[in-house]
Amino acid sequence: MVNFTVDEIRGLMDKPTNIRNMSVIAHVDHGKSTLTDSLVSKAGIIAHANAGNARYMDTRQDEKDRGITIKSTAISMYFKLPEDDLDAIKQPTKGNEFLINLIDSPGHVDFSSEVTAALRVTDGALVVVDTIDGVCVQTETVLRQALGERIKPVVIINKVDRALLELQVSKEDLYQSFSRTIESVNVIISTYHDAALGDVQVFPDQGTVAFGSGLHGWGFTLRQFAARYSKRFGVDKDKMMKRLWGDNFFNPATKKWTTKATDADGKSLERCFNMFVLDPIFKVFDVVMDFKKDQLVPMLEKLDIKLDQDERDLEGKKLLKAIMQKFLPAGEALLDMIVIHLPSAAAAQRYRVETLYEGPMDDESAIGIRDCDPNGPLVLYVSKMVPTSDKGRFYAFGRIFSGTVRSGPKIRIQGPNYVPGKKDDLFIKSIQRTVLMMGRYIEPLEDCPAGNIVGLVGIDQFLLKSGTLTSSETAHNMRVMRFSVSPVVQVSVEVKNAADLPKLVEGLKRLSKSDPCVQTWIAETGEHIVAAAGELHLEICLKDLEEDHAGVPLKKSDPVVPYRETVTTESSIVALSKSQNKHNRLYVKAEPLGEELVKAIEDGKVNPRDDFKIRGRLLADEFGWDVTDARKIWAFGPDTTGPNLLVDITKGVQYLLEIKDHLNAGLQWAAKEGVLAEENMRGVRFNLVDVTLHADAIHRGSGQLLPTTRRVMYAASLLAGPTLQEPIYLVEIVCPETAIGGVYSCLNMRRGQVFSEEQRVGTPMFTIKAYLPVSESFGFNGALRQATSGQAFPQNVFDHWENIQGSPLEKGSKLEALVSTIRTRKGLNPVIPALDSYYDKL
Amino acid sequence: MAENTAFSSSGADAITRTLDVQPEQNVASPSQLDQYYEIERTIAEILSGDYKRIALQFPDELLHDSVPIYRRLKAGLGAGRDLYVLADTSYGRHVAVGSCCVDEVAAQHVDADAMVHYGYACMSQTSRLPVIYVFGKKLIDVNDCAQRIAEVFDGQRALLRLDVAYTHQAEQITTALRQALQVPVSTPRLSLVASPSQTPLESEEAPENIIYIGAESLGLTNLLITHSDCNVYSYDPTAKTARLESGRTNRLLMRRYAVVQKARDADVFGILVGTLGVASYLPLIKHLRALLARAHKKSYTISVGKLNPSKLANFMEIECFVLVACPENSLIEARDFLRPIITPFELEVALQAEQSWTGRYVLDFGKLLASSDSEDTPPPESEDLDQPVFSLVTGKYRHAKRYGVTDKGEETATDGDQPSSSVILRNQDTAVALVDSAAAQFFQERTFRGLETRIGEDAPSVLEQGRSGIARGYGDDS
Repeated sequence: MVNFTVDEIRGLMDKPTNIRNMSVIAHVDHGKSTLTDSLVSKAGIIAHANAGNARYMDTRQDEKDRGITIKSTAISMYFKLPEDDLDAIKQPTKGNEFLINLIDSPGHVDFSSEVTAALRVTDGALVVVDTIDGVCVQTETVLRQALGERIKPVVIINKVDRALLELQVSKEDLYQSFSRTIESVNVIISTYHDAALGDVQVFPDQGTVAFGSGLHGWGFTLRQFAARYSKRFGVDKDKMMKRLWGDNFFNPATKKWTTKATDADGKSLERCFNMFVLDPIFKVFDVVMDFKKDQLVPMLEKLDIKLDQDERDLEGKKLLKAIMQKFLPAGEALLDMIVIHLPSAAAAQRYRVETLYEGPMDDESAIGIRDCDPNGPLVLYVSKMVPTSDKGRFYAFGRIFSGTVRSGPKIRIQGPNYVPGKKDDLFIKSIQRTVLMMGRYIEPLEDCPAGNIVGLVGIDQFLLKSGTLTSSETAHNMRVMRFSVSPVVQVSVEVKNAADLPKLVEGLKRLSKSDPCVQTWIAETGEHIVAAAGELHLEICLKDLEEDHAGVPLKKSDPVVPYRETVTTESSIVALSKSQNKHNRLYVKAEPLGEELVKAIEDGKVNPRDDFKIRGRLLADEFGWDVTDARKIWAFGPDTTGPNLLVDITKGVQYLLEIKDHLNAGLQWAAKEGVLAEENMRGVRFNLVDVTLHADAIHRGSGQLLPTTRRVMYAASLLAGPTLQEPIYLVEIVCPETAIGGVYSCLNMRRGQVFSEEQRVGTPMFTIKAYLPVSESFGFNGALRQATSGQAFPQNVFDHWENIQGSPLEKGSKLEALVSTIRTRKGLNPVIPALDSYYDKL
Repeated sequence: MAENTAFSSSGADAITRTLDVQPEQNVASPSQLDQYYEIERTIAEILSGDYKRIALQFPDELLHDSVPIYRRLKAGLGAGRDLYVLADTSYGRHVAVGSCCVDEVAAQHVDADAMVHYGYACMSQTSRLPVIYVFGKKLIDVNDCAQRIAEVFDGQRALLRLDVAYTHQAEQITTALRQALQVPVSTPRLSLVASPSQTPLESEEAPENIIYIGAESLGLTNLLITHSDCNVYSYDPTAKTARLESGRTNRLLMRRYAVVQKARDADVFGILVGTLGVASYLPLIKHLRALLARAHKKSYTISVGKLNPSKLANFMEIECFVLVACPENSLIEARDFLRPIITPFELEVALQAEQSWTGRYVLDFGKLLASSDSEDTPPPESEDLDQPVFSLVTGKYRHAKRYGVTDKGEETATDGDQPSSSVILRNQDTAVALVDSAAAQFFQERTFRGLETRIGEDAPSVLEQGRSGIARGYGDDS
C-alpha cells in the first residue's frame, strides 16, 4: 500500500527547504538495512508485518543470501510532520510535508567506497550504533568521512532489545552504556571541528540521538517522551527533554526535579531517564516475556495501545514486537529526528559549496549551488553507476546541486580529467530520461530540480564512474571523491576459451563502472588484473564478473598485493648520468619525501594544480621545506599527480627551462616504473643538483635528456637506500577473553602487530587492534575462525604503506628474494640492475 | 681534419669510433675459406647470371674475411666484372648479432646488378635485385642432434626448420631424424639464390610439431610466436642440447597483447622504416598509412636507421611506433623505449573495434597485405564516434583524439598521400590554425616556448667570460 504518489513527490522536489537527503551509515551488522526497512514501512511501501526481515534495500540476491549490504540503494520517502512539531525545526521550511531521500549503505569495510559515493549526494547521516558493540572501526571511518564532506550526523543506538533480552542489564547500566557510546561518538566528531558546519556533536536531550530496535521496529527519541510527559507535568517540552537525560533526578516524594543523585535524607533517587523512559519499556518487556498475561491488559490501557484481534493472540517476542511497534513506532521517531535535525538541501548547500566545487566561489555555478537554485545553471554530480535491467547499461546516479535536469537539451558531461577551457574529457550530449530511484524500482520523472537525487539514462557511456554534468560553459568540476579504501588486493583473470576474450574485456569495463572503487587493467605481462579493497570485495567482484558482466568461464590467479618503491636516506653521493651523445650531464640526488607530505599529496591537499606560491608557503610552514626549494617543484609523478617530486635546486644553469619538459616526462617514466621491480615509486624527492648541457639546442633535445633523466633517477634511487613499501591493514578483532590467545598466535604467525587491546566496558568482549600486512591477510579470516573456534570476527581496512625492513641490494636477504620474485613474475631479469648501468663516470 | 667546435663535432670520431664486435673465427686456412664461404658456387652463380657489377654484403662479424673472399672471387671471375664490398650495416637489430637483411639501397649506390649476402640471413623476399646467399657452412653433429631430439620429441609429424647456417646439411639431418623419431619429417627447401620476381616459399600446411636446429635467436622467437598452436622443439648444435620451447610462447604472446593494448590507446603513430630491402615494404607502408587514416589516427613516417631510445625519444608527440622491418627484426622488446613499438600485424589488431587475440600471429608482409586486402571493408562507423573508449592500460575511459576530420564531420583526404603544399589556414588572429597537427598540439602544451624577452624586467648584467669547449669536456673541467 503505497501511501504517496510520484506526483506528490515531484511536487515536493520543488521545495528544497523541505528536502532531506540522508544516508544511513554504520559498522557492519549494526542493523542499517533492517532499520531502513522500518523507515520505508512508515512511508508505506512495504507492509508492517515484514518490517525487520524484508531487507527492502538489499536489491541483489547475494545480499539477501549473505545478509549483508553490498551496494548502496536509494529510496525517496514522503513524510508529513504533525503541525505542532513544526516549530521544532530551526531552519526555514515551507509547509509540513517533507521529501526524504534516503540511501542505505553497506557496513562492511570492503565496501566503504559505496559509502563515500552515498555521502557525496547527501547532506545528513543517520549513524547506527549497536548497543552492545558500541563504536567500531567502521563506525569511526564512515563518521570521519561524513564530517569531511560536511555532513551532519544524527545517531541511533540500535538493538536495545538485545541488551534487555540477552544481557538482562539494569536500567542504570543501560543508561551508562548509552552515555558511553554517545561520548565516544562525540569524541570522534569533536576532532573534526569545522566552523562552517558548526558544532555537530549529538545529545539525546537535543533530540539528535534516538534509541531503538530495528528488528522489532520500535524506537524513540526523548522528544516523544517529553511530549507525553510535558502535558502531565505541565512543563515545556524542551525543558522536559533536558530533564530526561544526564544527571537529572526526580524525587517522587516531593515531586521535585533535582540534579543530585540523593534526596535530603541521603536516599538515592532514580535518574529521570531511567524512571520515565526506560521504566515503561522494561515493564513491557517484563510483562510480555514473563507471560504475565493478567498484567497485560491494564498495561496496554495505561500506555494507550490498542491491539488488533489477531495480534492479541500472539505470544512472546511476536507479541512484544507488536506492542512495541504500537507504543514507540520507530519510523515516526526516526523520521521526526531526520526532518527536525538534519539540514535541508537548501541549507546544506550553502555551506557545502566550498568543499564541493573546485571553481571560484563567485562564478554562476558556485552561486547556483550555494542558493540551490532550480533556475540556475545545471550542476549535477554523478557519484556512481547503477546497473539497469538492460545488460551493460547503467543509470548515472547523482545529485542536482543547481538548475533543473530534464531530457532533451544538450548538456556538458565533464569527466574527472576535464580542465576548464580544454576539450579533454568533455562531451556535449543530451540526457535521454530522468528517473527516480526507488530501491528495486524506478519511476520516470519529467524533470528534476536542484537539491534532489536522481537517476539519468543515456549518459553512462561517457562517464566511467563519476563526473560532473553542467549547462554552464565556465563551470569547473565538482571535487572528485576521495575513498578511504584503496584497491590493494589484486588477482589476474584469464578466459578459459580464447574466443571469449572480447567478452572479458567488456566485462572488465562493466565491472569497473559498477563499483566506485574496483579497478581493472592489463599488466605489462598481458594479464588482466582486477583490484579491490579486500578479499570479500574481490570475491563479490569476481563473481559479478564471471556470472554477470562477462558471462564467460574464467581462470583466476591467487591474490597478490601491489608494492611501492621508495628510498630511505639521501643518496650517498650525487648521481651522474650522461646522455647518449655524452654531451649532456644530469646530477641528481634522491631523498625520502616524508610520510606526512606523501599523505598530503595523496589526499590532494598538496597538488600540482595549486598556485606555486601558495603551495610553497604551505610546504614551508607545515613540512619544513626551504621556501625557494618549495617554489621550484618542477613536477609530480607518476601520472603528473603522484607522490614523487622533481625539485630544481640548481644555480645559474643556462638553458635550464628548455629541458624542463623533458625532465618532467622523465620523472613520469621513472616514477611509474621504479628501478627495483618496475613498481610505482612513492615518496621520493629527486633534487636536480646540477646540469651541464650542450650549447647547441639540437644536441640537448628530448631524445638525449629523457632517457638520461630516467637513468639518473634510477642511479640516485640505488644510492639512497632503496626499498619496497607494502600495504598494511588495520585489523579490528572483537572476541571474548578466552579467544585472545588464539588471536595473538594467529597474528604473530602473519607478522601482525597488536597495538591496542581493550575490554568493552560492561561486556565480556575484548577489542584488539593490530597492523597486518595485506600480503599476509589472505585466508586470515578463516585461520582466525579456526584458531578461536569461530569466536573472533576481524575487520580489515587498508591503513598505510610501510617500508619493508632490510635492503634489496643485500645478497641473500628476504627483500632481495621478494624483489626477484616480482621481477620474475614480470618477465624481467631477476637481478636488480647494478648501479654502473645507470651511473656514469665523469 | 676539421676541428671540433662548440657547435658541432667534425664527425671524425664516428670514423675512429671502435665498435664492440666479436669477430667470428670460422676459418683457419684459405682452403677452408673456399669451402666455408662457398666461393665456387658463388662464382658459378655469378657467371650463370652474367652479372657485371656485384655487391658483397658482410655483417660486422664477418667483415674481417671480406678481403680474402674478395680476392678469391676476383681471381675466379676474371676481368670485366666489378666487385664491391659493402661494409655499412645501417639496419638490422640494434643490439644483437648482425644484419640479416639484404641492403639493396646500398647496393644501388654502386649500381650493382646482383648481390652476394654473407652470413645469417632472414630470407625476406627482396624487391629489386637478385641475391646470392652465402650463409657459411657451420658444422653440426647430425647423429647427436637426432638423438637429443628423439629424447624430448613426442608427436606424429614434424616440420624441420634450420638456422640458415646449417642448411647445407638439411638432407642428412632430415634422414637422421626420420630414423630416430620414426615419424615423417618434412623440411621446406631454401633457395640459395633469390630474385625479385620469385614467389615466396609457401609450404606450410599447419604442422603440429616443429623442430628447430640452431642457437637461441630472434629467429626462434619468431618461430614460436607465429606458431603458437604447435609444439616447437629446439636443438642447439653448439651446446648440444634439445628442449621443448613452447612453454614460453604463451607468455611471449601475452606480453605482445599488453603492448597491443597500449597501441589501442595511442592517437599519434610513427611508422618506422626499418628496412629498405624487403619486398613490398612500400605497399605495406602505404597500407599502414591508409589504415591509420581510416581510423582517424595521425601518422608520421620516420626512418632513423638503427633504433635506439634516444632517437625515438626525440619524437615526443608520437605515442606508438609501428616498425616496418624484416620479420626477424620486427619484434622489439621496448623496455628501454619510452613508447611501445609494435609490428604491422599488431597495428591491425589494435585498430579493430573489437578486442581479439586468438594466438594467430603474422610477421610476413605478403601474408599481412593479402589477409588485409581480403577483408578490406571499411568498418561500419559506430553510431557515436565521440564516445570515449575504455582503456585497459589505465582502466579508465579515454577520449580519443580524432585526426583527419573537420568540425563538420566531413573527412579530409584520407589516403595519407596528400601533398604538403596545401594552403595553411589562418584564423582571425592570423595565427596558423593547426587543428589537425599532432606536433602543433604537442608544442602548445610545452612549457618552454623559446627565449623569453624580459625587456625591462632584469637589470643589465656585466658580461662574463663563459666556459669554453663542449659539454663532454669543457676547458675548465678538471
